Amino acid sequence: MKAQLQMPLSLVVTLATALFLASPASLATGDPDIDPPLAPLPPPPAPPDNPITQAKADLGMMLFFDPKLTGDASLSCGDCHDPKQGWGFNDPISRGYPGAVHWRNSQTVVNTAYLSKLFWQGNAKSLEAQAPIANKGAVAGNGEDDVMEARLRQTPYYIEKFREVFGTQQPNLGDAWMAVATFERTLSQQDTPLDRYLAGDLDALSEQAVMGKQLFEGKANCIECHNGSTLTDEKYYNLGVPRPFEWEEMGLNTVTFRWENYAKGVYEKHYRNWKDDAGLYFSSKRPVDVGKHRTAPLRYLVYTAPYMHAGQFYTLEEVIDFYNEGGGENEFTDGTHGLENKTPILKPLNLSDEEKEALVVFLEEISGDEIRMKLPEVPPYGVLPNVPGLTQIRAKRIGLESYLAAAGQQ
Amino acid sequence: MTSPKPNSRITRMAVSAVLLAVLPALGTTAPAGNFPPIGPLPEKEAPSPNLVKMGQRLFFDVRVSGDGAISCATCHDPRQGFTRQTDKKGQPMALSDAYPGTRHFRNAPTLLNVAYKEDFADTGWGWDGHMGANLNDVVRDQITETMMMNTDMRLMHERMKQDPVYVQMCQENFNGECSSGRGRKALDAFMRTLTSSNTPFDTGMLSGEAQLGRILFEGKAGCIACHNGPYFSDGRPHNTGVPENLEIFRDPLRHIAYRAVITNHGVPKADIWRRDVGYFLVSKDYKDVGSFITPTLRETVYTAPYMHNGVLQTLEEVVEFYAAGGGHDDPLATELVPLDLNGSEQAQLVAFLRSLSSPTAPTAEKVSIPLEYEIIDNWLEVPN
Repeated sequence: MKAQLQMPLSLVVTLATALFLASPASLATGDPDIDPPLAPLPPPPAPPDNPITQAKADLGMMLFFDPKLTGDASLSCGDCHDPKQGWGFNDPISRGYPGAVHWRNSQTVVNTAYLSKLFWQGNAKSLEAQAPIANKGAVAGNGEDDVMEARLRQTPYYIEKFREVFGTQQPNLGDAWMAVATFERTLSQQDTPLDRYLAGDLDALSEQAVMGKQLFEGKANCIECHNGSTLTDEKYYNLGVPRPFEWEEMGLNTVTFRWENYAKGVYEKHYRNWKDDAGLYFSSKRPVDVGKHRTAPLRYLVYTAPYMHAGQFYTLEEVIDFYNEGGGENEFTDGTHGLENKTPILKPLNLSDEEKEALVVFLEEISGDEIRMKLPEVPPYGVLPNVPGLTQIRAKRIGLESYLAAAGQQ
Repeated sequence: MTSPKPNSRITRMAVSAVLLAVLPALGTTAPAGNFPPIGPLPEKEAPSPNLVKMGQRLFFDVRVSGDGAISCATCHDPRQGFTRQTDKKGQPMALSDAYPGTRHFRNAPTLLNVAYKEDFADTGWGWDGHMGANLNDVVRDQITETMMMNTDMRLMHERMKQDPVYVQMCQENFNGECSSGRGRKALDAFMRTLTSSNTPFDTGMLSGEAQLGRILFEGKAGCIACHNGPYFSDGRPHNTGVPENLEIFRDPLRHIAYRAVITNHGVPKADIWRRDVGYFLVSKDYKDVGSFITPTLRETVYTAPYMHNGVLQTLEEVVEFYAAGGGHDDPLATELVPLDLNGSEQAQLVAFLRSLSSPTAPTAEKVSIPLEYEIIDNWLEVPN
């Protein structure tokens, strides 16, 4: 497996195509693609323009937990991606900004280094792009660039650290997102029982978990979408997950539901009539994409309940039951709006109780150890740049020097 | 943008201002030029009472702000002359509060008689003229501005749609559903009702001392050069050499707000300045550094402290400041010269200024609003 991963992409594609042509019978009915096998996580990749360094990761950690990078400086990245809550948020729907609430489940930050599509809608293609979207969204961080940057520039610790890490005279907000992304890349876990098992340590998983793995890759066909080293194909599906109850039953959530549709830009008839999250459609505006969300990675899963894009299921047992029944129906699959977007991959699985339990045990065991961290004390603002003994006369002249010089005055 | 008065007036006034700066030194006792006369505020069409009611509710509704922490009334408190004069502990504040996580670097201007600002739409609103030139525009600016309410207008739209009271109010006033635009129209209507009533000046009941003050105001003291027309403002920027309020640079939350605003408006060297650049923020002409838009003089009894940064506490101090020829902005030019007013003349001016305020403080009744959003019955059956 490892050897294949190191092959040039073109060769992998060729091999995959050959495999497909040679043995179509290996695909489940309705199977659209070849499924890369489960694989150990490699070291976290980093984009060429943002290499991982310890100093940058340390700075990123501080910024991750610092509420200065939101609108009213009352919450940080770490409030919706809380280390104590699996680096996510354990309510079905994330808490969101004060006075508001989010509309999707907050996902774990752990192992996001490997993803090329962030958010349930996959609308950020890198961690560097994800962070500002989250920190600026009106129901998320509600921050504004100039204020967030001014806060960094008002903080002596950041002035020093940004200078060290990025070589700039003053902190630039864009660099802050680079540092946050770097910190997030360090939250990867390559030594889980799954990684050890796949590397040849057959004792790394219990007997029950091994049975679960076989089901995962076989009868239950989880591997159709949850595959490769991250356990996600990063493609989009409508599974027929039911509408979360919150939009109907909690006024604050209803506000956000409508706002999302309004802000993301849909035709008015959809704004008026849809009562569920159109997912990928907001990005693509293609009717076939309505209600599709990006396959969730399954690593670190045991710490990140509840599950699905709006936390519709509280336990892994509920999730397995849902798949065992062949998924569900929602208004984008049942023809309500003339759409039947449910993926044909899902079919009733006829799993026995013992098999369902084995799947749950497998998912639990591959989660690895919990990553906990002592939260740093965020740095205070300073009086900066400090002008000792500032007088009225000085205050009036500072900033005017070049103008006065040009005007022939001192 | 509508400009009810021709621009030539501004040119004429600019010339007058220059003359004004020269003439008193030559012993002349009255400002030159024909300034729009002071007088009672003209009647304006009264907004619909029902729309006013909707605006009044929005005015006190913290859900108009991004994080639901502040309302318009937080910085334009009806109990404080529609300004912000004291902090939560009742201590005097020269500079206003702002959106949580920041503090403001200016004194909150009063909303009393704000409808009359439209009569000099040549310059933008705000102390530095950086906002729109009509009430509806400025309301939009304030709701969305990071330092103020920091709200996405679409979120305000959806919040209103979730509140049965607004839903009914929008139906009654607009025969349709709520929108942020309709919310702004309602706020606009409410603020049009915040006017002076029965001031001694408007009713012609000036005391003898105030009458003498008026003569000084229009004559020797030359106040009318800038504070003219029924609103007592020419709506133009002037540098009077007001001392800097250095608190802005000692309080990081204020300094952050200041730097963010001037950065946002393209002022160079945002972290260097230790003064409020004023109208320079708009014009980018260094000669405008330190110029601020003339405020109204109506209702000043209720709107202390004074100046764009609240550095003067009493009307007596303000008159004293002008009597001394304003402050220094060396080496930039200020427009004032010493006025040679004796103590009783200064007292007469103060008496006249007081006559421009209503006998009792204009206020507005607070509207209590539940913070929880109600659910919509049969949500699944009704269109969003």
